[in-house]
Amino acid sequence: MMYLLKKLFGMLATLAVVSILTFFTLFVLPGDPALLILGTEADPGALELVRAQLGLDRPVIVQYASWLGGVVRGDFGRSLTFSRGYAVADLIAAALPVTLPLAAMAIFLAMAVAIPLGALAASRRGKTADKIILGFSQAGLSIPAFWLGILAIQFFAVRLGWFPPGGMPRWSADPLGALNSLILPALILALPRAAILTRIVRTAMLEILKEDYIRTARGKGLPETAVILKHGLSNALVSVSTVAGIQLIQLVAGTVVVEQVFSLPGLGRLILSAVLLRDLPLVQGTIFVGAAIILAVNFLLDSLYPILDPRIRGVQ
Amino acid sequence: MSRFLRTGIVLAISLTLIAGCSEPQTRDSVVVAIPTDPDGFHPHHSVAAASAEIAFNIYEGLVKAAPDGSIVPALAEEWSVSADGLEYTFTLRRGVKFHNGREMTPDDVVYCLSRLFDPEVTSKAADFAGVKGIRAQGDRIIITLHRPDAAFLALLTEFGAVIYPPENEENLSTQPVGTGPFVLTDWQPNDQLTLVKFEQYWNPELPRLKQVILKIIPEPAAMVNSLFTGHVDLIPRLEPDYLHQVEGKDGFAVLAAPMNLVQLLIINNAVAPFDDLRVRQAMNYAVNREEIIQGAAWGKGTPIGSNLSPAMDIWYTDLTDMYPYDPQRAKELLAEAGYPDGFSATLHLPAPYPLHRGAGEILADQLARVGIDLKIRVIEWGAWLEQIYTNRDFELTVVGFTGRLDPHTMLNRYQSDSRRNTSNFSNAEYDELLDQGLLEADPAKRVEIYRRLQTILAREAVNIFIMDPNQLAVMPEKLKGWRNYPVYVLDLAALEWEK
Repeated sequence: MMYLLKKLFGMLATLAVVSILTFFTLFVLPGDPALLILGTEADPGALELVRAQLGLDRPVIVQYASWLGGVVRGDFGRSLTFSRGYAVADLIAAALPVTLPLAAMAIFLAMAVAIPLGALAASRRGKTADKIILGFSQAGLSIPAFWLGILAIQFFAVRLGWFPPGGMPRWSADPLGALNSLILPALILALPRAAILTRIVRTAMLEILKEDYIRTARGKGLPETAVILKHGLSNALVSVSTVAGIQLIQLVAGTVVVEQVFSLPGLGRLILSAVLLRDLPLVQGTIFVGAAIILAVNFLLDSLYPILDPRIRGVQ
Repeated sequence: MSRFLRTGIVLAISLTLIAGCSEPQTRDSVVVAIPTDPDGFHPHHSVAAASAEIAFNIYEGLVKAAPDGSIVPALAEEWSVSADGLEYTFTLRRGVKFHNGREMTPDDVVYCLSRLFDPEVTSKAADFAGVKGIRAQGDRIIITLHRPDAAFLALLTEFGAVIYPPENEENLSTQPVGTGPFVLTDWQPNDQLTLVKFEQYWNPELPRLKQVILKIIPEPAAMVNSLFTGHVDLIPRLEPDYLHQVEGKDGFAVLAAPMNLVQLLIINNAVAPFDDLRVRQAMNYAVNREEIIQGAAWGKGTPIGSNLSPAMDIWYTDLTDMYPYDPQRAKELLAEAGYPDGFSATLHLPAPYPLHRGAGEILADQLARVGIDLKIRVIEWGAWLEQIYTNRDFELTVVGFTGRLDPHTMLNRYQSDSRRNTSNFSNAEYDELLDQGLLEADPAKRVEIYRRLQTILAREAVNIFIMDPNQLAVMPEKLKGWRNYPVYVLDLAALEWEK
């Protein structure tokens, strides 16, 4: 229990640091939201008025305090530039049903590919199957997602017409259409994750296959598949689950690119437009929620360790 | 995974089939691709061009712009100007309904415009500093000015001057209520906006379509793909880099027209060596505009020689032959100015604008041929606005100035004390002429004044004026009624499908 409480406290502290860092980074960066709103027609009087209307004329500390006060009450403020007047919370709430299923599908696809391939490569170490799998993994790591996304759109959407070339209907309006428009981006997003996870599964498996108990299992005449699956893989998954948590962070970063290429109305695209427009409340809100999701998933994984790994249970 | 994929593929195929079957023969809706969300629809707070071009279909002012750049009646049926140019009288159209069902009254007009003229309420009031007062008299609106302002009527066509019901003031930003041909019924930020025909629009002929969906697609490649797959019907502003993909494609039409944007290389006239007229002239001689138009805009642009586009019609003066392409003359001028071996400088290019980046790269290459060595720095838009536009901490940059309906609002940024005078240009003759232009009531004399103003900018080689890029609208040939404007609007009311 102490273990989880400590983790929970660390999580809240991290969130606080993240919010302070994003807030002050935006103030240090060049680019004034009022100026971005007014563009090449700006003059000083107009700038002053817009700054006052946006509350940007107050000291930075006051702005941060009022933002934090709002968050505690569940109010993330209103967007300054992008869709001006929309509540940040509403914008995020609309984006999550896009990004969460996308990320979930991608991580599921990545695991579904990586675990069997990694195990196979390890059991055929140095043989042709291993070399082919490692080659594919190398390719998956090196191909940039946006480029592959564009190619996939050209082939599967424009040429074959299987998927829409971008955009996504709302779940409530057209659930099948919504699911369909997530398949291609999820595959693109999953590819580099699958590539790296394959290597991690393979390495973990190779380590474990050297262990004494594997020799024992083989020695008592268990068939090789049972050795690999029952004794090897189940133990290898402990180290894989740690890496999967780190992969999730990169996955969320990857959604920024993939959502842009596939014109998906998700959190990644929201963050990108917010940063480019210096929309402080929206940047704060999206980064905060993104960080909270990553931390929450890591927290869940951390609480899973004792179940997966009896050794940690022992430490408690 | 394979079962998952297979399910998806089967789903996709069946969905396409269903969609294919249910499609009616003549459609009454259209899907339009736009690159970004609007910044809200409150006429006094929203400033993004992306908002104004959509708002054109939702709201109306007393007058509005026509495709040929003239000013035509909207909520005012007619208007007159007193002989001294100080009093404007507008006669309101009767029986105009707001989207909320209420009939528009003269009081609504006085309320909205009084707020527009009030610098405490909106930054847009700066354009209307010359307004003395506004009042209603029966179904007439009378606006009085402190001094004659020949640009006044043109300013009333802009988004800020539209009329809305005061009772909807609070939520206009996300739920606009106007008198225009379309009603905004739904806005999913980052995704799409839905416009539906306003059945009680005062002009029963418009709009022709029942529904318009504006899909937000940030990537130009995705726009073109969606057009080909039929997910999008109209791309109003295609990036020229994608022209080759759609040009000559069966069943699609590309309509090109000047967009009234002045693309230019801004020279900081206040820093050496650019404070020397000969250096600026040399740079102008060194530039081959045709090559830039071919290279950066795929041939879709009109060369310009001063700060107005040919789209400004009667106001425009062609000055493109003042500095013909003559690298030899450029080298001579540089030598006279004391730079026989040229010099080096920094050229800042704004990251989000491929057209300006492309033009800047070609310009740098052309200037290198006469010995001017430019280091290119690509700079993010927010930083561009702060460092270059506001602080004027730069040597050279390429950007575009959006066209307005009246030449004064395009040319007043070169007045010595203007805060928008990014070139740091200062010329007493220019300042005085510009003031005269506003006081002049006789249109022929005004044309002459603006001809002289454009000539001064060209003669002084203030900047390198490059081109007015074409607006490239792409749509299926069966979609009719597209109208191009010399101002930044998107006219959806006349669109219809060929029967």
